[in-house]
Amino acid sequence: MVAFALRAAMKISTLHRHFVIRQIARSKKQAAVFIVCVALSIVTLIALNGFSDSVHSSLLKDARALHAADVIIRSNYDLSAAVTGHVRHLEKQGLANSVRVYEFYSVVRTAENQGSLLANLKVVEHGYPFYGRMVLASGEAFKERLRQGRIIVSQALLDRLGLSVGDRLNVGRAQLTIADVLLQEPAQPVNFFSLGPRVFVSANDLERLDLVKKGSRVRYYCLLKVADPRQINRIAEQLKALADADFVQVDTFRTAESGVKRFFDNFLFFLNLIGIFTLLLAGIGIQSTLSAFLKEKEQTIAILKTIGATSQFFSRHFIIILSLMGLVGTVLGLLSGFILQYFVHVLFAGLLPPNVKLIISAGAMLEGICLGVLVVGLFSFLPLHRLRDIRPVSILRKESFRSAKTAPYFVSVFIIFVFFIGMVMWQISDAQTGFYFIMGIALLILISAAGAQAILFVVRRLNVKPLVIRQALKGLFRPRNATRPIIITLTASLSVIFSIYLLEKNLDATYIESYPPDAPNLFFLDIQPSQLIEFSEALGRRTEYYPIIRAKITAVNGEKIIRKKERQKRGDNLARTFNLTYRNHLLTDEIITEGGALFRKDWGDLQVSVLDTVTEIRNMKIGDHITFKIQGIPITARISSIRSRKRESIRPFFYFVFPEKTLKDAPQTIFTALTVSTSDISELQTRMVQKFPNVSAIDVTETLSRFAQVLRRLSSVIRFFTLFSIIAGILIILSSILATRIARIQEAVYYKILGARSVFVLKVFALENLFLGFVSAGLALIFAQIGSWAICEFLLDISYSPFLTRSLSLIIASVVLIVMIGLLPSSSILRHKPVVFLREQTQE
Amino acid sequence: MNIIEARNLTKTYVIGERQIRVLDNVSLAVSKSEFLVVEGSSGSGKTTLISLLSGLDKPTAGRIFLEGKDITETTEDALAPMRNEIIGFVFQSFHLIPSLTAIENVMFPAELKHDPEAYDKAYALLVRVGLEKRSDNLPSQLSGGEMQRVAMCRALVNNPKIIFADEPTGNLDSENGRAIIELLLEFHRERQSTLVLVTHNTDIAARADRMIVLADGRIRPESRHEN
Repeated sequence: MVAFALRAAMKISTLHRHFVIRQIARSKKQAAVFIVCVALSIVTLIALNGFSDSVHSSLLKDARALHAADVIIRSNYDLSAAVTGHVRHLEKQGLANSVRVYEFYSVVRTAENQGSLLANLKVVEHGYPFYGRMVLASGEAFKERLRQGRIIVSQALLDRLGLSVGDRLNVGRAQLTIADVLLQEPAQPVNFFSLGPRVFVSANDLERLDLVKKGSRVRYYCLLKVADPRQINRIAEQLKALADADFVQVDTFRTAESGVKRFFDNFLFFLNLIGIFTLLLAGIGIQSTLSAFLKEKEQTIAILKTIGATSQFFSRHFIIILSLMGLVGTVLGLLSGFILQYFVHVLFAGLLPPNVKLIISAGAMLEGICLGVLVVGLFSFLPLHRLRDIRPVSILRKESFRSAKTAPYFVSVFIIFVFFIGMVMWQISDAQTGFYFIMGIALLILISAAGAQAILFVVRRLNVKPLVIRQALKGLFRPRNATRPIIITLTASLSVIFSIYLLEKNLDATYIESYPPDAPNLFFLDIQPSQLIEFSEALGRRTEYYPIIRAKITAVNGEKIIRKKERQKRGDNLARTFNLTYRNHLLTDEIITEGGALFRKDWGDLQVSVLDTVTEIRNMKIGDHITFKIQGIPITARISSIRSRKRESIRPFFYFVFPEKTLKDAPQTIFTALTVSTSDISELQTRMVQKFPNVSAIDVTETLSRFAQVLRRLSSVIRFFTLFSIIAGILIILSSILATRIARIQEAVYYKILGARSVFVLKVFALENLFLGFVSAGLALIFAQIGSWAICEFLLDISYSPFLTRSLSLIIASVVLIVMIGLLPSSSILRHKPVVFLREQTQE
Repeated sequence: MNIIEARNLTKTYVIGERQIRVLDNVSLAVSKSEFLVVEGSSGSGKTTLISLLSGLDKPTAGRIFLEGKDITETTEDALAPMRNEIIGFVFQSFHLIPSLTAIENVMFPAELKHDPEAYDKAYALLVRVGLEKRSDNLPSQLSGGEMQRVAMCRALVNNPKIIFADEPTGNLDSENGRAIIELLLEFHRERQSTLVLVTHNTDIAARADRMIVLADGRIRPESRHEN
């Protein structure tokens, strides 16, 4: 009995194994495409999650090192006596140690004043940093190397000014010796969004520099190292209570925001969206290829049902088959994801410090495996379920069965939808953005589907005369075709790629490439009012001077501004520091859109004219009251007019303009913007800063050029990942060609028997793919143009150019790719001998 | 003059490690306007012979001549015009293009040679076989007999000099089969085309000008050489 059962079991397991292996072996190519689809669905997310883990681990995990302290007090104004007094008290009590840090931009000059550049100065007291290791080229300790009279600089400064360690550098009114080169700064792990290279100066030289004056744009820090870590929060709360919350931020290392972390979080967040998009398209690919794979098995399944096999038998076997293929795909996806992680590093080269180490975490692996299993399971359910509908009689009649859309179909679609939402929320953790993303993707796929449907409807009814075109169009509707999924997937993925390209081009055109020749390209900032006359004489050219008074908004119409809530808004917000100015005239590129005149003569109270951009941040109208705080002094002004700019330009503009008499005597600095020929910038900059060391000079064209490089690098990263979504479309094309291989061979054979040459057959297949390419790329471009225009118009507020010539080249490139992909597997079909096919058919 | 001539044809297939000789040193000549039947049991080499004579396949040894031209080494593409204008095929399994309607299937060979009257000729043929009302139907919407009639019309639209019919009634019932054969013979007589017909049916064979019997890849001596 036992022996019999064992034999039966072995027989069954032998049958399963052989059946499983042969089913895969007989459809090797379809199986391969399915496996690649599974791999594709997870590869980008694994790579990005792994990269994110690496960045966080190497750069951002140690928040203390990132902020160099336990408690961070920062302000754009010198700290109040109350705050500094309490800090001294804490030090006396032995509860904490503190260091003062001053961070600002200033132009540094070579000792002979031959060259100058804008540098990012950080003046620190001895003891900085409390946490994190500053790595110097000499290998010595930072605290030992940075002393009075000496500075530590980044390599970029040495390269740009042609200096080396030991040379002297003019910083403000002091001349200091370059003591060492900074290789790594934990508090600034990346510097691609800094306007200039880093220079560390000892606080003992601060007075000598003579750069920190009233109104100067300096970031003041007081960093504390708390003796007992359990007291960190309590000490931070004490300091918060003493500080003016409108001007001073007190944070612990846990609550403080890091600009670097924010940047990477945002950028990786965006890339993750692309990863999810690719997953969705790959999921469509999985379903499409699996349907094609199973369609090839229909005859086999019908025959087996005829001889008594149950649906359970097939479910079991095909689940095993799918599991095997899915496992291979998941492993391939994991491996590819880890390899791709390396390429993400390469893409970010120059933007990341060298100490970022690639890590492959167990968490990422487990995540990848779970994702692979989920994706295969969800997108395979429907095709597997449809096997139940295959009837044995189909072996006698050549009929194709149609599955009715019953409850399992709708349940499956619902679960896929819920999974997709879950994925989005898990990856991006922002409900509102997630909602917009899901709606955007759903809309994109729906309109792609609608567009495909409409075009195919028209094509099916077209009366085309040329034979070769007619046959090509008919080929789109051959049995088992995947024309619609191909068009939908390619349209959706190409739309995203085209949109990113058009947006990049428009941003480039607005801010970088078409920098107007007459626009100011050299800005002088932090001119003190007392220097104005002398500065103007030294400059020797006519220019407009703009006074700047830094202030914060505390209330609008009596309603207090909640800074934390404001800062959470994407885009501009009212919690930041604003540059107020005063004048009684409009600038050349300004117009008044509401109010009639800049200021009202019949109003007795304080007035302010606002730029329309402010009313977009928060709804404001003429007569509303805004309360500002200037150096701790509140002033409330009534909105007298709303201005707008005639065109986007690089000219100075101000959100808030006051009458001259209101702010003339407020603490202020002055800046001016000049248009100078590129060859004169360096000399003028050096000359003026030599005479006025406290004045900062910004060469806008150079800054824009570096910014453009970073922007292009980031765009290329985005485009790289978006290309994966194209691969999903290509896989569906390959799968469709494989699925319709017999039909294609049949057509090719018939054409040849009836007297057509091979070139005719080739033309038919090529035109078929040409049509797919043109329709997909054409629809994608239309959607991309509309979407990009909307983003430029309503979100970015810049003018839009359709770049028609470049758009056309995008279409051509896409069509060429699709035709090549479509023709490659067709070459073997063309070589198929008619007689072999006929023999096989006759034997059937 | 012989429109078809085969000299010492041999065809060998290699399946795995085995060599299977399907035709063995077959020589044959078919006259213009002749009706030749090729008979033989299953596996005797009938279809292979037809494939070779029509240029669909290449012999392992021997030569084939169509209208006096040696087509043995001619490439597929070079044979295409011949297949389009001189030869018509009718197959057992019909082999209609599934995505084309009946009229489109019939028109196709004429369109390949840019015949401006392709549609008219095709329609006239369909009328002749009683399928004018089915001209816009797809093959999947036609019965076996209807499909075979469409296939016949397709074979005849370019007025070929030679018609090869490989068991054209093999997948049809007897009534439809008879109708198809009658049509074929009608066209053969009308157009004086050469008809080479593979069949098991002895009644049809009896109506041929000549019959050859294949067995084990050779023409048997009891083949009837004239009617």
